[in-house]
Amino acid sequence: MSLSKHALTLSVNGSPTEVRAGLHDTLLTVLRDQLQCTAAKRGCNQGVCGACTILVDDRPARACLSLAVNSEGADIRTLEGLNDQPDMRLLQQAFAKAGAFQCGFCTPGMLVSAQALLRGKPAPDAQDVRKALSGNLCRCTGYTRIVSAVLDAAAMIRKEPVAP
Amino acid sequence: MLQGFYRPRTVAEAATLLAGDPDAKPIAGGATLVAMLNARVIEPAALVSLAAIDEIKGISVMADGRLRIGAFTRHSETAECTLPMGASAVVRHAASEIANATVRNMGTIGGSIAFADPALDYPPALVAAGAEIEIASTQGTRHVAAAEFFLDWYVTALEPGELVTAVLLPAPPDASGRGVYIKHARVAGDYATASVAACLHADGTLRVAVGACGPVPITDDTANALLSGDRSDATIRRAGELLVQHADPLDDVRGSADFRRQLIPRLLLRAVRSVEVPAGGRS
Repeated sequence: MSLSKHALTLSVNGSPTEVRAGLHDTLLTVLRDQLQCTAAKRGCNQGVCGACTILVDDRPARACLSLAVNSEGADIRTLEGLNDQPDMRLLQQAFAKAGAFQCGFCTPGMLVSAQALLRGKPAPDAQDVRKALSGNLCRCTGYTRIVSAVLDAAAMIRKEPVAP
Repeated sequence: MLQGFYRPRTVAEAATLLAGDPDAKPIAGGATLVAMLNARVIEPAALVSLAAIDEIKGISVMADGRLRIGAFTRHSETAECTLPMGASAVVRHAASEIANATVRNMGTIGGSIAFADPALDYPPALVAAGAEIEIASTQGTRHVAAAEFFLDWYVTALEPGELVTAVLLPAPPDASGRGVYIKHARVAGDYATASVAACLHADGTLRVAVGACGPVPITDDTANALLSGDRSDATIRRAGELLVQHADPLDDVRGSADFRRQLIPRLLLRAVRSVEVPAGGRS
């Protein structure tokens, strides 16, 4: 039944994690409400805003569009599991330095998308950054500082090569 | 009420599940279906996940030279395909224009075309490319030309119990064939307000299809014949007028019907001029 919960084992930030999910429950619901991984935000719940962006099998994905029951066997990473990575730390420092946020609601999704961009393309130009972040909406900044923060981080990461 | 969830490993198992429950729906990448579930616009009785069916994943070259894009191939994989595609490169180009990088990592070609929103990027590209849709059910497999697959707003040739298993692209007879997809959208990542797909073959044959200007992609045999003959501005204008006659666009937030009619000849001109120009590296 829809309201009954299914016992699932999800791989979250490298650890097999037992959760119980209804058929409608998305990864976002399970991550936030059961596992207290609250970096991914519930914005539109329609796949539009990008605030819930996480990594699934190393690629950015929308947690709000992923059903938990359909996610067993996938490698799920949230910002909580990426915080310790050197390139993510440099990105966060660059965001702080550039003032690349105001309310901060979009920031975790921005960081996940930006890290994925820089891992595939270590020396992007501003247009590449805008394209890569076009699925992440920010209603405060006007994006200018976000784009320059990602470019700054890219330069820092290139100087200080990091093992993923 | 959603009461069942299945994750079969083969197309045959999926077809059996769908045949056994007329209210079950297949779910591929989920990019649209889960958004609709979240918004409570749909409530299937059961979901049949296609995520564990390896035989419908990835792009391969068939024995006869045609390209087979498995239904569960994500848009990002199609956009990044390095196989020579000739004029069918229009499909790769369309894949690269869908939404944004994150959604392209989720959505699949089979899920996209089975949904058949006329504003999607694949339908005009598949019609211009002369693609075939491979469809499976417990009765076996059948093939439908893309031009006959899209029937109406959100309506396809799929019968109850059938699922899309692949998109087949014609063998590139000509490595020099080219395909482009030109899309007008309000902002990057939006659905098309209008779009034009153009496929130019080495023998000079040009086929075009218009998207987002009616229930199904618009094509016109006379327009294709004209454009295959000469491609002067006057001819392109004439072909544009023919295509506009078939348009049945909506007034919606992306643009008025009238605006869409005016976009068609302009996008056609850009598509034709762009498909003629040899671009470095893009076959």
